[in-house]
Amino acid sequence: MHIPDGYLSPSTCAVLYAGAAAGWYVALRRLKRVLLTRVIPLISVFAAFSFVVMMFNLPLPGGTTGHALGVTIAAIVLGPSGAILALSIALAIQALFFGDGGISTLGANCFNMAIVGSLVAYGAYRLMSARAAVGDRRRIIAAGIAGYVAVNAAALCAAMEFGIQPMLFHDASGTPLYAPYRLGVAIPAMMIGHLTFAGMAEAVISAGIVAYLQVADPALLSRSLTLSYTSLVGAAKLRPVASSTRRLWIAVAMLMLLTPLGILAAGTAWGEWSPAELARGASSRAAAVRSLRPEAPSGMQRLSHLWTAPFPAYAPAFVRSRGFGYLLSAMFGVGLLLCLSLAAQRVLERQRRRRAAA
Amino acid sequence: MFELREVFFDYDGVPALQGLSLDIAKGERVALLGANGSGKSTLLRLLDGLYPAAKGAVLFEGAPLTAEHLQDDSFTLPFRRRVALVFQNPDVQLFNPTVWDEVAFAPLQLRWPKEQVVARVDETLRLMGISALRERPPYRLSGGEKKRVALASVLVLDPEVLLLDEPTATLDPRSQSQVIDLIQEWKGSSRTVITATHQLEIVEDIADRIIVMEEGRVAADGATGQILGDRELLLRANLVHAHRHSHGDVTHSHPHVHSHGKHEH
Amino acid sequence: MSGRFLESTAMGFARAITRAMESERIARQRGLLQRLDPRVRVVGLLSLILAATLTRKIGVVAALFGVAVLLAILSRVSLLLLLRRVWLVVLAFTGVIALPAIFITPGTVMARTGALQVTEQGLRTATLLVLRVETAVSLCSLLVLCTPWAMVLQSLRALRLPREAVAMLAMTYRYVFLLVETASQMFESRRSRRVGILPGAEQRRMAARTAGVLLSKTVETSNEVYLAMQSRGFRGEVETLSSLHMTMWDYIGLLLFLLAGAFAAWIGR
Repeated sequence: MHIPDGYLSPSTCAVLYAGAAAGWYVALRRLKRVLLTRVIPLISVFAAFSFVVMMFNLPLPGGTTGHALGVTIAAIVLGPSGAILALSIALAIQALFFGDGGISTLGANCFNMAIVGSLVAYGAYRLMSARAAVGDRRRIIAAGIAGYVAVNAAALCAAMEFGIQPMLFHDASGTPLYAPYRLGVAIPAMMIGHLTFAGMAEAVISAGIVAYLQVADPALLSRSLTLSYTSLVGAAKLRPVASSTRRLWIAVAMLMLLTPLGILAAGTAWGEWSPAELARGASSRAAAVRSLRPEAPSGMQRLSHLWTAPFPAYAPAFVRSRGFGYLLSAMFGVGLLLCLSLAAQRVLERQRRRRAAA
Repeated sequence: MFELREVFFDYDGVPALQGLSLDIAKGERVALLGANGSGKSTLLRLLDGLYPAAKGAVLFEGAPLTAEHLQDDSFTLPFRRRVALVFQNPDVQLFNPTVWDEVAFAPLQLRWPKEQVVARVDETLRLMGISALRERPPYRLSGGEKKRVALASVLVLDPEVLLLDEPTATLDPRSQSQVIDLIQEWKGSSRTVITATHQLEIVEDIADRIIVMEEGRVAADGATGQILGDRELLLRANLVHAHRHSHGDVTHSHPHVHSHGKHEH
Repeated sequence: MSGRFLESTAMGFARAITRAMESERIARQRGLLQRLDPRVRVVGLLSLILAATLTRKIGVVAALFGVAVLLAILSRVSLLLLLRRVWLVVLAFTGVIALPAIFITPGTVMARTGALQVTEQGLRTATLLVLRVETAVSLCSLLVLCTPWAMVLQSLRALRLPREAVAMLAMTYRYVFLLVETASQMFESRRSRRVGILPGAEQRRMAARTAGVLLSKTVETSNEVYLAMQSRGFRGEVETLSSLHMTMWDYIGLLLFLLAGAFAAWIGR
């Protein structure tokens, strides 16, 4: 899932660098207020750990092998901010030193694996292991499922980034300039590998490590390390930090959700997902791909009117381009993801407070 | 220089120091002797202001080493320059990309002027005989080289107090004697050296006074010759073990000291 | 031997360490890139990578690939090493990914056999992708092969990357080697104790256990490192010292790199 240089256009890279930078900024701010001094060595050594875990060639049920990402265990032990930074650093070292993943695509890789991966893994693990004791079996299962979901969420992001390339960037003759496959090919191609091997590898290693830690080092599971260092500074100081970054996250999520809805131009902006396109597109493509393409669902027909309705005629031309629509739909997806994880966090917090009060 | 009064310390409830009291004067060469888990390393970390005492007081020249006090740069910066700790595991102490960066780390943190940092680092590398390693990354060094770089990385500050945690453990005999030579050479006039070790054979070379530690308390405190002569005490503190063997048909046991190279009975 | 997991992972570790040592050796040779200020190398090669991603023409990407080969020769980087470490690896990976594009990209049909058709657009997009990736990865490899890691870090700092980020990159790289060493030792001891191939489930348990031990060690090491940093006066701000200075030749080199990058991007627009 490490995207090399050359697969994504410079503008896609720039957008994803910006997205990653926002994640880094929020993560750093959360940690800085806390105690950046304390976490620099923690995150560095943990990044080294993720790096080494990525090198493990895991045997999977069925006789194949796969590589894990290590993002889930990072999110469980460090918490989301620490995991975002540790994974990003590990990815940067891989790109710079071992040529695994590109430099121009580092932003994209960090966005997919470090940011989306950490947030999904953390959210899923916390939701499923809520109120489970440190030694509870449920934690092992939660870690496995969280790993599986997180890797697949990251792979889906990567697949979407690949898939929008040929629509956005092609020359006059229609030759795709970067990754050549449309969403309809890119998504299944990416997901088959990740729904099976990579997702399973991450599930196996995450669940296995949690099971090991329950016996050998349960303190590491009781609360995230970056948070336990904050308790040294005092809970009173932490409270406002959490809520201010929460507000920032909400703003980012809302922005991402609203932008596509607000300024989306013609129905075709949804490109391949628009009913007309789904029906028409298949004929021009090779038989191999055709089978992957579903018939246009009628519900979508209605929805597309909903989306086209509010668009002003004065929207600039580029807004109407199909590629832009893909970008917006990707943003929409991410926004949705953020909202979900925020909601999850909210629920968890309420539970925690109730428990603390009891 | 250091005064400790009834000091307690624990790691998440596991006691490490239990009511330890101690005075160390300027210029003393002290060895902290004790088996694993007797609290030697913990004591060094308290003396270096890295852990605050849970109960009791640790004073450096009359100033208490408390968390609040160590937050204050006007106290901490001079304290860090004057007191230096060499960790047992050189891998945790060597975290910089090259040997040169490693030795320059402390002076840069203490905001020395640039020219002074460069001059002082080069001089230290030369004095320690590691100039040839300057561009090497620490992970590619041998155990003995790592130890020397770790020593250089604190001696660059020319500290008044040197705290050493098992400086020769895991080293081969040659590197071991090199390290001991370095410590002795550096000693000079009025400096204080406090060494935690369980290796009896190096104690005579590096200490005039021995403090024997047992379960987080001082079990004995005296001149080097006097303590090393007290086999009963060493046996009790788990520093030597009774050795059982037979001469002809007489079986007897006596304390036994393990040392590299020689085997004394 | 006790199963694929140990063998293949241990081989991966060995490869990583060999790689690092190879790089250190090449970085000390006196070639063209090695003579330039590391900041010039970073900025220069990055601008060429950017040009290679910006351009839309196969010919321009090919020319940039030629530049990479020329730089490799002038910097005494063995082409055989690049072939083994970069070109074949990329071809195997990206080649496989690009192959179906030849057949399924819609466009002018050039040849047809049964259900398969080759389009001009498909052929061009596959070539472009493979060539682009080869060029970018070659340029990036040249940077790390010709520059000691400590210097890469120094230049990143000089290029205004936040200190904390550079400090974390430095420490991570350093502790990768410590952890790889630890993991290798654990593997060795397991390997010597076991005979025969372990069942998959047992291998997985072992992998998780190794990772778990490594994790405990990670946390413990980071705690100790923090104390060691504090002991030497660390208070949260990483102070660094740059010994870099640019000569006239460095400026000329930088100018040439930037001009070449800009020219390629303009021609290939």
